[in-house]
Amino acid sequence: MNFIQAYSRNIFNGLLVPIKSVAGSWSLFSILVKRDIVNRTSGTVLGKLWPVVQPTLQILGYWFLFDIVFSMRASRGPNYLEYLLTGMMPWICVSEILNRSTNMFREFSSLYRRNPFPLEILPLLIMAIPCMVYGAVYFILNLFLGGLDKAFISLLVMPMLMLWLLPLCLLLPVLGLFIKDFTQAIPFLLMITMFLTPILYFPSMLPEGMQQIIWINPFSDLMVVIHGLVQGGDYSWLNIVRPFVIWLFLLGPSWLVFKRSIPHIREVL
Amino acid sequence: MTSSAISLTEVSKFYKYYEKEFDRVREILSGSPRYQKIHALKPVSLQVKKGEVLGVIGQNGAGKSTLLKVLARTLLPSTGEIEINGRVAALLELGASFHPEMSGHENVYLSCAIQGLSRKEIDSVYDEIVDFAGIGEFIHRPVKTYSSGMFVRLAFAIATHIDPEILIIDEALSVGDGAFSRKSFDRIMDFKSEGKTILFCSHSMYQVEALCDRVVWLEAGDVKKIGDPVEVITQYSELMRMSAPKEESLDTANEEEQEEFEKDVEVKSVTAIPRILEVKVRVGDKTGQVHKIVSEESDLEITVIFDKGEGVPLASVAVAFSGGDGRILTSAGSVHDGVILSVNEQGQGVAKILFPDLALLRGNYYLNIALLCEKGIHLYEAIRRAAEIHVEQKGLERGFVKLPHQWIS
Repeated sequence: MNFIQAYSRNIFNGLLVPIKSVAGSWSLFSILVKRDIVNRTSGTVLGKLWPVVQPTLQILGYWFLFDIVFSMRASRGPNYLEYLLTGMMPWICVSEILNRSTNMFREFSSLYRRNPFPLEILPLLIMAIPCMVYGAVYFILNLFLGGLDKAFISLLVMPMLMLWLLPLCLLLPVLGLFIKDFTQAIPFLLMITMFLTPILYFPSMLPEGMQQIIWINPFSDLMVVIHGLVQGGDYSWLNIVRPFVIWLFLLGPSWLVFKRSIPHIREVL
Repeated sequence: MTSSAISLTEVSKFYKYYEKEFDRVREILSGSPRYQKIHALKPVSLQVKKGEVLGVIGQNGAGKSTLLKVLARTLLPSTGEIEINGRVAALLELGASFHPEMSGHENVYLSCAIQGLSRKEIDSVYDEIVDFAGIGEFIHRPVKTYSSGMFVRLAFAIATHIDPEILIIDEALSVGDGAFSRKSFDRIMDFKSEGKTILFCSHSMYQVEALCDRVVWLEAGDVKKIGDPVEVITQYSELMRMSAPKEESLDTANEEEQEEFEKDVEVKSVTAIPRILEVKVRVGDKTGQVHKIVSEESDLEITVIFDKGEGVPLASVAVAFSGGDGRILTSAGSVHDGVILSVNEQGQGVAKILFPDLALLRGNYYLNIALLCEKGIHLYEAIRRAAEIHVEQKGLERGFVKLPHQWIS
């Protein structure tokens, strides 16, 4: 019973403490968001356009390879380009967040090493910018592809991803800080995860044996739900329950690890 | 309503040493300790009253900085309870949170927000900060384009304009050069006169004694003594003298003592205003930088002429005699003697002091001059070894100075 109580409390705190911390330091949080944009764009010719130009170029590259060169087509459903755009934009967002999260404590060390600083806001901070930028681009994209209704539904996608990624954004920074090899491995792991997620291909294109394997990966469920919401594709409750269970399973321990690591972080750096 | 600004109960800090770095990860994941303790601060219980100025002294590695960092909340204590009533401004590492790519304006908002100010509160102090820092239009440029002086001025202005109730100072009672140095010193003195709580850590026993109501002496992470500044500092200074190795490091130990006299924590450059224009040393009818005198027979007269600066009260002057090993033997200051210096026809400040029948005993001595603020705390300029004095004597007395005495039969 004690274990369940402790586990539930960690799940509750893992969700609530970062949110409360951001609310309590809203002024600081909003300045840091701005700082983040300045950081990314200072000294560049295109300046503040880069956060939008970068994913656009990436998508153009994938589109050229898979649509023009490989001429991938689905037997039914939306056309390939629409499908690719709908899945790829959220994935780029996820990929950017997870990639950055492993280096989070090092990146922001100047803020907390010599100042009292609420470390709990950092996971939400590294998710905020990509979700805002890609959320805006995603909205405009879906406005063109599916009209105003679809565009409004697409606004749910980034906050949903942000919520789902919270446990990983609590856990990966700690692993990235204390196990340096992890930072090196993460781009590879993300690439493999992308290949195991139906983003570049329709699930129906896979050989029958492989079709079951991709559901081990929770991002496959999320992607199916995203396609379902935005493009009206099929998805079942199982596609929602599976990632939710994993989320519940991860959030408590992730928060515990994050909380335990706080006294160590300044010492290590 | 509590009268304590700071309350520490059994607060300690130890750093964790892991034989293998991976042990740290195992500890975080499992929750079971795998470290060896390296104590930086042993359990300390301490109450600092509101409006009290507490000095923190001790040798390097005694735990002074650790204590200040724990109080500034940049280090988490390993054990114990800390209760802090009021906003804390720490002058520990100024500008540490500045982002080089962001403008001064944006960094003001960022730094204040880190200190817990809301946007509205920052808006209300912004103009004061910019005005105090005095960096003009540079406030809209990235801080990476600032000179080190501008950087520290802005950082100091931010740290002291967040309306703190508690101020933590590590060594420097002023920052920057010239006029800003004086301005920043005044700002800190204003905090004292406004009755704010101040924690002041320093190696300058002179400053600690001049400013503090109480002193805590740390040794090897432990509180060795706490109490009246004169009592604690006397014991501390005595121990420092005794623990200085006799031979090779005597010079080093005394060097520090002499520097304490002249540097007032940090030596200011000659660009500081006011500044010394001329030092004249006269014995009999001879003036110069090197003098031969006879103990108890020669009169030594020192005249210091200084530019009194603008917009600041008339400065004070102190002189000190030191031995060849750097140890200060005796000193005299116009503030402590209650003397107000005069101004000559050219508008220059003049300090004249006479040592009649100078009772120094045989040996070589050096004269050191310091130009200080009207309170005798903030140093504008110091001249080390301004003159050299060779003393001869007729008798066989030993030591440095002959004290007035009489034999009673």
